[in-house]
Amino acid sequence: MYSVLTRGNGILTYTLSVLACLTFLCFLSTLTVDYRTAAQMNTVKVVVKNIADYGVSREKNDLGYLTFDLKTDLSSLFNWNVKQLFLYLTAEYITPANELNQVVLWDKIILRGENAILDFKNMNIKYYFWDDGNGLKGHNNVTLTLSWNIIPNAGLLPNIGAIGQHSFKFPTDYTQTRV
Amino acid sequence: MEFFKSIPTHIDYVGQAKAEKLYRAIITLFSIVGFIWGYIVQQFSQSVYILGAGFILASILTVPPWPMYRRNPLNWQNPRNTEEKPSGKKGKK
Repeated sequence: MYSVLTRGNGILTYTLSVLACLTFLCFLSTLTVDYRTAAQMNTVKVVVKNIADYGVSREKNDLGYLTFDLKTDLSSLFNWNVKQLFLYLTAEYITPANELNQVVLWDKIILRGENAILDFKNMNIKYYFWDDGNGLKGHNNVTLTLSWNIIPNAGLLPNIGAIGQHSFKFPTDYTQTRV
Repeated sequence: MEFFKSIPTHIDYVGQAKAEKLYRAIITLFSIVGFIWGYIVQQFSQSVYILGAGFILASILTVPPWPMYRRNPLNWQNPRNTEEKPSGKKGKK
């Protein structure tokens, strides 16, 4: 501590060590928070088509399409260690070909401070609902679930599933027209 | 140039210990206050800003060699009279 430089060095390193401790304490303070909350969802229009995904092959596969309602209040999830939420809507179903199919149909980023009270009506899905075969036509138990990935200032990146899900059926006929 | 050389830049041993204790106390205090305030308003950025304010305050108070760190000068022994030859080196010629 005998010169300006050694004192400056000492102060800077001590400040940064303290900052690291604060960040860790911030993480510890939110370790036990329960990030689950309820969400209601519903499907409005559900169709299935049988077309070729030429990016993959010329074989025709089932392509589902749907619109959905979503209602949830996520404002209680935000605290000082949550920067943003990454919401995603997943369809889950069983086919003879696969024990478990999971397809992400839609997602949304909510930054802290943005409106987190969601009430969507008749939303289109964002991503193609491809099946790797013909498992969607007439499928009578496809489950929609909403999940979120919490992006914190410091700490874990948990994936949390919403409380509440919705099961729906695909029609037994392919839709030929554009939707 | 002589003027700049006449500015004292050293601090004594007691002053060095004092400076280190002072900046540790300031930064620790600001970090505790910042953590509590950040938790109350649920904004971690507030904690970081308060810690930054503590850093600036501690830098101002302890980095420059202020006169208050120079109040305990060492008691040097008086210089010996160098004209007088030490007794052990009489036969040096």
